[in-house]
Amino acid sequence: MLIDVKDLFKIYNEGKENEVRALDGISLQIDRGEFVAIIGASGSGKSTLMNVLGLLDIPTYGEYHLDGTDVTTLTDKQQAHMRNKQIGFIFQGYNLIPDLSAAENVELPLIYQGLKIDQREERVEEAMRKVAMFDRSNHKPAEMSGGQQQRVAIARAIATHPPIIMADEPTGALDSRTGRHVLEILHELHEEGTTVILITHDTSIAATAERIVRISDGKIVMDGTREEAGL
Amino acid sequence: MNFRQSFKIAAKSIAAKKGRSILTMLGIIIGLAAVIALVSFTQGQNKWLNDYYAQMGDNIININATTWDGRDISEQLYTYCQKMDEYMLGVTPNYQCWGELNVRYGTKSLSSYNTDWENQPQVYLGNQQFTLCLNYELEDGRDLAYIDVKNMNHVCILGSRIAKNLFDYAQPVGQRISINGTAYTVIGIYKECDPENVGNGKDNVILLPYTLKKLFGDRVDGGSFVGKAKDAASVPKAIGLLNGYLPGLVGDSGWGNASTPNTWQQSANEQNKMQSLFLGGIAALSLLVSGIGIMNIMLVTVTERTREIGIRKAIGAERKTIITQFLIEACLICGIGGIIGIAVGYLATAILCKLVLSFIVWPSVSVTAGAFIFSVVMGVIFGLYPAVKASGLQPVEALRAE
Repeated sequence: MLIDVKDLFKIYNEGKENEVRALDGISLQIDRGEFVAIIGASGSGKSTLMNVLGLLDIPTYGEYHLDGTDVTTLTDKQQAHMRNKQIGFIFQGYNLIPDLSAAENVELPLIYQGLKIDQREERVEEAMRKVAMFDRSNHKPAEMSGGQQQRVAIARAIATHPPIIMADEPTGALDSRTGRHVLEILHELHEEGTTVILITHDTSIAATAERIVRISDGKIVMDGTREEAGL
Repeated sequence: MNFRQSFKIAAKSIAAKKGRSILTMLGIIIGLAAVIALVSFTQGQNKWLNDYYAQMGDNIININATTWDGRDISEQLYTYCQKMDEYMLGVTPNYQCWGELNVRYGTKSLSSYNTDWENQPQVYLGNQQFTLCLNYELEDGRDLAYIDVKNMNHVCILGSRIAKNLFDYAQPVGQRISINGTAYTVIGIYKECDPENVGNGKDNVILLPYTLKKLFGDRVDGGSFVGKAKDAASVPKAIGLLNGYLPGLVGDSGWGNASTPNTWQQSANEQNKMQSLFLGGIAALSLLVSGIGIMNIMLVTVTERTREIGIRKAIGAERKTIITQFLIEACLICGIGGIIGIAVGYLATAILCKLVLSFIVWPSVSVTAGAFIFSVVMGVIFGLYPAVKASGLQPVEALRAE
């Protein structure tokens, strides 16, 4: 099992009057090679779930095994390595570093991995070609459209060849045509064997996934095929 | 991740954020240059004033040390003043002979009784530092030497007016004159220092080795000395030291005191003190302003940088890597800015000094180093601040920074 989560809680202001349970006892298993869409209304806790699954945030309680490793016991440094090697993130707001060119943004995780320059260049070119952005390598984020920025962000996510891609509303800021293009790339990656976890509130996007997990008030209310989800 | 890669990331980041890097550097450059130029220029002004006072022939310290038991304390006083070479240039007995004086060369004679007041000879007894301490300069011949004093040589140096009156246009050096019947060889002539002859008869001086004092009996007042301080600022210090030393030297059977004859000299010292305070104030203020400038520029970008750190963490940067990157960045920016700032400061100093003072006072190493270290430390602390703060957060919190 690639991702194995049991009784996951993320509670803010625990024990106080304004206690919020963003995750309220989530148990979830995702196998290698799956394409899972996690859906829910805004504030349902789906982004929090992704942040915890992606080691961007720590759960208040619960067990989390990633590829057999109990990640709740990892040090900060080990978590950094885990994020670097295992997971590629795609954010709604792209989160590119504005002062670096497209290629430099894509190169960054490879530098953190400690790769040599020729290897890095090879990987950057490969990733940029995959998202059809190679000819824009030297552009700064501000010089690109939203769709182009998101494609660069995808290139950055896949440059390290991570087994898992986590995408949080990757099409949320894009028009439907560029959104479809981004989705196509995610499906291509899935076909090549990457596990894709897609967070969205858009049911038409979720409908392209083979497995749907619906979240409401921090709980999983449905977990099944898209037919079972009625999409 | 090794240091070289951190360095590369940092260099890339500086190059990528040209605007911010230049602004930060500018803050450091202006701050440093201002401190260096202001401090040096004020120091230059100080020096100019000191030189001006020194040129006016002062920094003189009058020392009165009388012993009633007839002990000769001049050698001890001389030795003591030599040990104070941090403040003192020299000290000499300044014994004047009172009563009747008859000075003769050939048929010419000058008398303290029969001659016009403006040509009356004045005999002083001093040592080899008399010329220096009383701001005389030699026109011809040689100065009094230690050996003359020690061997009680019958030699003398003449003031310009005396020499002219006795010798007309003849060559005085090497000739023998008689004072009250005793013969002395003229070894030197002083330059004219009072052409209008309005002063205290400085050009009518005849200097003899003070060891010849006995020849004049009780007509010599043996308690007067003149010291010369290095500069205006040294005057009060030397006076303080002397007044601490003199009572012990003269003992119970004597009286000693050191003072400066000029009130303006005292006020000059006050002015010096004020200026030093002023200088310190300016330096502190400039540093503060530059420090705040650096802090501002660094803090303005904290949010932006916090997001950046969130992104870097999300794609796998370790905390150590991020802090190293920011440290190198801050050191590079502040170091380069600091070096440029020092260069600009030196240039500004040179221009300012040249234009206003006509000589250049280079900034002291301590001021330069102090200002540099302060600016760089400020820059590094505030440059590192977002990294230390944000790299400890969960990536999601850093990413949320608005």
